Amino acid sequence: MPDMVSIGQPQQRQFNPYSENGGTILAIAGANFSVIAGDTRQSEGYNIQTRYAPKVFRLTDKAVLAVNGFAADGSMFVKKVKQRLEWYRHAHAKDMPLRAIARLIQTMLYSRRFFPYYVYNILGGIEEDGSGAVYSFDPVGSYERESCRAAGAAQSLVQPFLDNQIYFKNQRPPPGTSNPTHLPLHEVLSLVIDSFTSATERHIEVGDGLEIFVVLAKGSTTQGLENFANVQEMTQTREGERMFNIRRNLKRD
Amino acid sequence: MSIMQYNGGSVIAMVGKDCVAIASDLRLGNQALGISSNFQKIFSVTDRIYLGLPGLATDVTTLRELFRYRVNMYTIKEEREIQPETFAHLVSSTLYEHRFGPYFIEPVMAGLSKTPSGSFKPFIAATDLIGCLNFAKDFVVAGTASEKLYGVAEGLWESDLEPEDLFETISQTMLNAVDRDAYSGWGVVVHVITKDKVVTRTLKGRMD
Amino acid sequence: MNSFANRFSTTDHLRELKRAQANIEDDEFSDAAWGSEAGFGSLAKGVPTFSVPAVPDPSAFLRLHTDDHADPKCRIKIQHGTTTLAFRYKGGVIVAVDSRATAGSYVASGTVKKVIEINPYLLGTMAGGAADCQYWETYLGIHCRLHELRNRERISVSAASKYLSNLVYSYKGMGLSMGTMICGWDKTGPAIFYVDSDGTRLKGDLFSVGSGSTFAYGVLDQGYRWDLPDEEAQELGRRSIYAAGHRDAFSGNTCNLYHVKEDGWHFIGNYDISKLHYDGPDNVDGAGYGYDVRVGTRS
Repeated sequence: MPDMVSIGQPQQRQFNPYSENGGTILAIAGANFSVIAGDTRQSEGYNIQTRYAPKVFRLTDKAVLAVNGFAADGSMFVKKVKQRLEWYRHAHAKDMPLRAIARLIQTMLYSRRFFPYYVYNILGGIEEDGSGAVYSFDPVGSYERESCRAAGAAQSLVQPFLDNQIYFKNQRPPPGTSNPTHLPLHEVLSLVIDSFTSATERHIEVGDGLEIFVVLAKGSTTQGLENFANVQEMTQTREGERMFNIRRNLKRD
Repeated sequence: MSIMQYNGGSVIAMVGKDCVAIASDLRLGNQALGISSNFQKIFSVTDRIYLGLPGLATDVTTLRELFRYRVNMYTIKEEREIQPETFAHLVSSTLYEHRFGPYFIEPVMAGLSKTPSGSFKPFIAATDLIGCLNFAKDFVVAGTASEKLYGVAEGLWESDLEPEDLFETISQTMLNAVDRDAYSGWGVVVHVITKDKVVTRTLKGRMD
Repeated sequence: MNSFANRFSTTDHLRELKRAQANIEDDEFSDAAWGSEAGFGSLAKGVPTFSVPAVPDPSAFLRLHTDDHADPKCRIKIQHGTTTLAFRYKGGVIVAVDSRATAGSYVASGTVKKVIEINPYLLGTMAGGAADCQYWETYLGIHCRLHELRNRERISVSAASKYLSNLVYSYKGMGLSMGTMICGWDKTGPAIFYVDSDGTRLKGDLFSVGSGSTFAYGVLDQGYRWDLPDEEAQELGRRSIYAAGHRDAFSGNTCNLYHVKEDGWHFIGNYDISKLHYDGPDNVDGAGYGYDVRVGTRS
């Protein structure tokens, strides 16, 4: 029997449209390539909703967007970015350049300044000058071009490791030499895989699968990409840039 | 703001081949304000046991003295040096005595324990602030940069590292982790414990 | 309906929200969204339009989900912690900033550009919400250019800063967070205006903004003179940011230094704060600003 007295009490409800779905994304830019990766686990609290929910999406042949945070906002945001890019294609008969996509994402995120998309975005791809690029965003649209960025649940586990291995932070080069500014593709790929296996080991929200996108600049060779298992080419136009997808398993516990 | 982050600071311990290493940062802060760049958080318990005490600075001092007292009493009563395993349980029970009003410290210890055959076996352990023991076989971390330490250590650590390689691994782990933590840093100190000596080195870390 | 007159006819944010809400129902994208509209995109209507949640008090909703000071568990973290400074002297304006962004205790980035290059004659600094500063100062840049085209002369620093001040004031109470210094050189000479999201706009010779500002002021005040030589003025800016980066946990990584002269701003350099500590600006081993250098072996 419900307590009849309490019915007269005032009740309060709260509008909470946000949730957190875990997972981690990561992008690294090379001299003439860009690698964008994300795990495929989607969770809410201690429950795994699915073991395969992609967080990394192909936008154009030279641009890939990784989204992390609230999955519903993320997929809606990617949908809207793709829509705007298609409109651009119809109006200009070409793909939007990467730096313009970055600014577009800023204005789209900021247009929701008072009702934010709860999404951390990382945009990776090839710039018009042929260089690899990574742009990282906060949920309301502040952005910066970088050459390496991790975001999401395990960002604080992965980012300091990458600072050390990509930027050679706290590493003094042997006398007479200097630390390389860009790493070759195969080294970047093994660092990405190491980062995710480490994050899977120590973070409950990371695991199940790893999806890596590789974008190669015009005219560059495959740089040892063919040695990796499960590589699939996803290039759709003959613009010159090529895109590949690599899938791997991560621990499922 | 949690009381565990009031003064900042982090500690890590790692196992190598017949050796262990323990490292900490040197910062003492008052929330965002840096006060000291020479605040020791690691103390020697015996010649082969080191104890790191990250957390609230006032409790660092208190616990350090308390453990010194209890280890001395043990040594006198038992007429032998305390072993790391025993010391870990001493730490654990001391903290659990304050179950409902704990010291705000998450101790990390590293040492070499004597085996019946007379050789030495690496030992590391950590507890939470009420004394739940964690005997890990690879590495243990604690403090404001613990998440970052886990990430880097998981990427860099491998088994059976020689003392010099273990020093390099723990140093790189500490330096890169504290650079991503606002409350840790301002220099790093590393102790590498081998069966016949302890090597202590102070590293130049980022000072911001 | 979104004319400029209408835009500034009210400072009442509830009316502003209703207008914004009406716009969403209207259509989220103007026809301009179909093409690129010369890069204007969502700005083509004259003013940007914002989506607002359908709740009685949208700003309380936003505060609930974004303000990490009130609730550490709230999900959308806005980056905080900064040191920025600017001062006016005989030779122009010195602008110096750090480059750290923190989310809680995590150093989210050490390479943030906190000086926003509005146009070749105007600089804005960034403290508070990174996106707010980036977006509105870029937007300010567009309107400074429009002013040039309409009036055949450059906008004054005073007018530009007032434009920004009025703009953020119209959003007062809605959760914008910015503390910025608009710096430049116009007909009146070098000028600095401090503008923040409360609507404050101050003209002055010397400002520092952010969590590390007290440390920067300490160095700045004791070294400041109107007739500083250029070299010394730049060194004062750099030294002040170093002091803040050293002591303040939420400031650090690198220092970006700019000098505004009659012919516009010049980027002087990017300095690693830890290198300044050990080796100093001239990168001489052991000649840094650091503690050991000052106290020698006495400690």
